Amino acid sequence: MSADLSRTQRNLLVCERSSFLDEKNRVSSQVERLRFNYKVSVLLPECGSASSHLESILNSFSSFYLIKQLPLYELLDKDFLQSAVYQGSVYGLSFRTRIDEDNCVALMPNGHLVFSLDKDAFETLGLEGRPSRSNRTSSRYEVTVDLRDGTMAPGGRGYLRLLQGLTSRLKLQMDFLISHHPGGRASLQPLLSRCDWSEHKPEVCQHALSHLVHPTLRSCEPHDLLEWIGAVHGAVSRENSSSDFLSTLTCLEPEATISRVTSVSACGLLLPQDLQHLVEELRCHLQQAQTNSWASVTVHGFTDSPVSWGDGERDVLTGGHDLYNLLMFPDHTYRLHLAAGAQNTCPP
Amino acid sequence: MRVSSLQKMRAGAEEAESSGYQRVVLKNASPHHYLRVRLVLEDESTRVSAVDLKTFITSCLRSLFGEVGAALNVDVLKYDEETLTALLRVPSRGLVKLWSSLTLQGFYQNQACAFRVLQVSPFLLALTGNSRDLQLD
Repeated sequence: MSADLSRTQRNLLVCERSSFLDEKNRVSSQVERLRFNYKVSVLLPECGSASSHLESILNSFSSFYLIKQLPLYELLDKDFLQSAVYQGSVYGLSFRTRIDEDNCVALMPNGHLVFSLDKDAFETLGLEGRPSRSNRTSSRYEVTVDLRDGTMAPGGRGYLRLLQGLTSRLKLQMDFLISHHPGGRASLQPLLSRCDWSEHKPEVCQHALSHLVHPTLRSCEPHDLLEWIGAVHGAVSRENSSSDFLSTLTCLEPEATISRVTSVSACGLLLPQDLQHLVEELRCHLQQAQTNSWASVTVHGFTDSPVSWGDGERDVLTGGHDLYNLLMFPDHTYRLHLAAGAQNTCPP
Repeated sequence: MRVSSLQKMRAGAEEAESSGYQRVVLKNASPHHYLRVRLVLEDESTRVSAVDLKTFITSCLRSLFGEVGAALNVDVLKYDEETLTALLRVPSRGLVKLWSSLTLQGFYQNQACAFRVLQVSPFLLALTGNSRDLQLD
């Protein structure tokens, strides 16, 4: 019994070290693979006037739209398919639905419409699907429909079957977050014009940290590094000793103290394209910085997204959401850590 | 402006050496797990300090798992007295013991209580963001 109690759910951490100049580095593709991003947090030491430039970059992130009580069959409208799904990249995710309790839906940039349904909803909808791989006893089912496939063209057999399912059998209606690249609101207009919608910009926060002690960033252990970055972002005190009653968290192997660090974050439905631009701008900034400088970018995925890295199924159990941290240095080298929850697919 | 900055980067990059590519996948290697919990009390005006909370957590572990359970090193990394929300760290081997003892604890100083476990992750970094907190109204 004690052996069982000491086990935890499977979790993965992919640690990558390379240089942006290396042909094998896949930072760009990895940023693209986490489709639904909730929060980005940046740590930048001694950046001076660059902090206002950084804030302006985050303020330039694409707007996203909240549609209240969207009847899901509206996503099959011909005009919407033509303007948003067949062209560019659309990112849509059900909002205020919990992956372990409610029915969740995601619309992927590759045109896949992914449903994570409970048993009753799955049987009522009547489409082909499969049980959740993460836990076969949890009675969750996943249905994936490729809206760009020939059979899903308006008027096709698959299209009509899905439309009938969503209009007469399972009338799913939920709050929906949606965004489009590069079309933005113009591409989404056929859908927005028929719904109760509101436009939102990612909420940006900035604050300064002083006298930050940091470990040897290039060589410390991955879990220690992520714990340190998490402690900085979470304002967790690391000035404890091993005999303290409340907390024994300390900064392992402190290397140096930085007098001023800027922390900026943005929350909302963030597009991978905007995050790519942010990474490029930070790389430019580092070229002009001192040799011992660095920049940290942390991106959190949505907890209740039915898809994980790439098109992989999202685990409905505990284990946290998907996230990655990119630590960059002026010599073009980087450390990238990608974390996935219990039964999710391994990050790319 | 963006194109010229990329060109500058490429020009400077020719002088830099590229290091080797290295990828390591760590499975179940996190030494600690982190929990964000909230203590819900019958009397919402009750004040609970960080020390009181740590003592209470230790007593929860003791009541379910005895002295061995109470010896588990649980750190209260952060605590908000207003919302009674705490960030806890526990060795991974003790996560199930801690979580189960918090779940099964029903009384705090003769009043009904419940621990709501809001987030659990093997990475502290994951607890600094929770999409369920997104407010768009």
